[in-house]
Amino acid sequence: MMQTTAQINNVTYRYKGAAENSLDGVSLTIQKGETILLCGASGSGKTSVIRLLNGLIPHYYHGDMTGDVKVNGHDIANTQLYELAGVVGTVFQNPRSQFFSVDTDGEIVFGPENIGLSPDEIMARKDNISRQMKLDKLLGRSLFELSGGEKQRIACASVAALLPEIILLDEPSSNLDMQAISMLHDIIREWKRQGKTIIISEHRLWYLKDIADRVIFMDKGRKAHEWHAKDFAMLSEEETRQLGLRPTNINEHYLALLSDKDNAENGHTDISDGILLKDFYFSYHHKPYILRRKKFSADDGDDLSLCIPELTIPKGKVTAVIGSNGTGKSTFLRCICGLEKECTGVIVSDGKEYRKRQRIGFSYMVMQDVNHQLFTDSVEKEVLLSMKEKDVKRCHEILDTLSLLGYKDTHPMALSGGQKQRVAIASAIAAGAELLLFDEPTSGLDYAHMEKVGKLLRQLADSGSTVLVSTHDPEFIEQCCDHILQIKNGRVHPCLSAAR
Amino acid sequence: MSLKLDPRTKLYMIFVVSAVVMMSATTPFLWAVRIAMTMIPILLLIIEKHYAAAFRFLIFYGTALLLTFRFLSENSKGFLSAFLVGYCSIIVQFMPAMITAWYVVRTTKIGEFVCAMQKMHIPDGITISLAVVMRFFPTIKEEYTSIRDAMKMRGIMLGGGNAAGIIEYRMIPLLFSCVNIGDELSAAAVTRGLGGKVKRTSVQVLKMSAADYLLMLLFTAALAVFVVSKYII
Repeated sequence: MMQTTAQINNVTYRYKGAAENSLDGVSLTIQKGETILLCGASGSGKTSVIRLLNGLIPHYYHGDMTGDVKVNGHDIANTQLYELAGVVGTVFQNPRSQFFSVDTDGEIVFGPENIGLSPDEIMARKDNISRQMKLDKLLGRSLFELSGGEKQRIACASVAALLPEIILLDEPSSNLDMQAISMLHDIIREWKRQGKTIIISEHRLWYLKDIADRVIFMDKGRKAHEWHAKDFAMLSEEETRQLGLRPTNINEHYLALLSDKDNAENGHTDISDGILLKDFYFSYHHKPYILRRKKFSADDGDDLSLCIPELTIPKGKVTAVIGSNGTGKSTFLRCICGLEKECTGVIVSDGKEYRKRQRIGFSYMVMQDVNHQLFTDSVEKEVLLSMKEKDVKRCHEILDTLSLLGYKDTHPMALSGGQKQRVAIASAIAAGAELLLFDEPTSGLDYAHMEKVGKLLRQLADSGSTVLVSTHDPEFIEQCCDHILQIKNGRVHPCLSAAR
Repeated sequence: MSLKLDPRTKLYMIFVVSAVVMMSATTPFLWAVRIAMTMIPILLLIIEKHYAAAFRFLIFYGTALLLTFRFLSENSKGFLSAFLVGYCSIIVQFMPAMITAWYVVRTTKIGEFVCAMQKMHIPDGITISLAVVMRFFPTIKEEYTSIRDAMKMRGIMLGGGNAAGIIEYRMIPLLFSCVNIGDELSAAAVTRGLGGKVKRTSVQVLKMSAADYLLMLLFTAALAVFVVSKYII
């Protein structure tokens, strides 16, 4: 006998100040113990469905709403958020902004403390959860020193500590590497085994293949399709692509690569024309010094966080930089573009040498959170800021190639995520950078947006820039990268050519 | 060795030190009390193994004291001594409060702090807001570091030919990201039951120890000395 846990009844919702409805007559019945995968493009209403179920709509995000939502017998509109705390738990997308404490223990007990459980009961729950989720190593640590994957595990634990019947996950894998995704997968499977009702909104579909019972496809605020997991798995790549979804199967070759396994078949490629990096040594652990800081060198061996005696990056190509979190991808990029002052090393391009501060001018990094690198109040000014000699004509040319010219007077912060990224690229081009670095540009993007970024990188490479892009995204590598660099413990494994 | 002070003692220390730095020390005895009061948080920092910070504070404070007493007097003249007088008197006057605050922020866990506030029957609204402020310091630092990196890459550390830019380019992205993070943070917190009508519990067990009572006594005595010498004698 099936038992209904949650029911969304013909809900139409518009966020305050928004021009269009985010949800348009959505109805959904969820059975107890079911696992539902919500997919669809960004802005299709996935997150809004999640927010309906946890009550953030209408209690936290205000707007116009018709229809009604019932969760576990509570009528959401007439239930206060705190009454739902023990009923519905939510794991959010960004691990960085969902924890309330600064230490792991405090975070796990935060929910139970809020609902006023007795300290003994809370401690019992904490012990139980940390045994179940194998968190011993993470207890008693500062949340700020954890990796994204570890933070997400703590987030899961802190939700589980409230023992909710229903668990919602809103794009939980966006910022995770392969290893962390497989851990997340195991956590969700364990919840499913315990009989919890699980609703996951996600762009990456492959890791949920064996978990989801039912797949709902959202499009423009409507429930456009619905499949049983079996039927969904039968969809061809062509069909998923037409729906704008990421593939349900990932090329095993890339999975193995990204999971940090050793690659026996190193397909070396000869690079005729390249940018040469020489003697890049860097360590986060300062050596004690008295008067003169000693330079890092190859002799420092295992102390080095980055150790690249020599490396050639193919010119005018897109090269993916892969490796698990914490193995030195970001350090590598930061050192190349000169952000780590103490990193030694010379960049040689066209017979010209760039040292120390010159490296900053030679390369430019588009950060993962582009909000950090937009400073002015209009797109045009933003690009002009990068130019030593302000050349409005050239600025408009650059904006035109990136199809931003129509937005030249818009405030950068009013743009969409993808547009912001393009503004950052425009300023990099305006600054005359030859080597463009991208730090995980596609994490959390849907298929269509990922494809757009891929095309853009190709366009940049074809017009002569050299592109290095760090990524965990197998679909993305397959789509646009020419070469692959693997980083392990700060050591670079030579360029493989991507099977494009 | 570790000495776990109750957050209530720590808050009381901040309160007393802040009051004392607002009163001037006029006699050698008062000076001695004041210096002794400053040494206590420095000692506590050493006990908590924050050696570098303790050392830095000691050097700063010591230098300023030395300069004030050995080299500066009412008859000091000239630009340099005017400058030094200004610098030293600010340090000597207000550094004690800064050291104490730094010690408290660095060594208090948010859970402990919230529990202590509850035991003092402070309304949850105030407690939670203060806890969020404490939670936000490291976030602001992280965000600020990324923004500075971005500025370095653009070569606009000095404002890029626009003097106001030095501040503007740092503050605007920082505010935007802090507002965003704050918004997501509170959404995540309310789904986990923050702000309910139920009385919040706490797994922290707070007990005043002998050290707590001793410190409270010492600081109360110091406060009394200052108040008496200022208003009664």
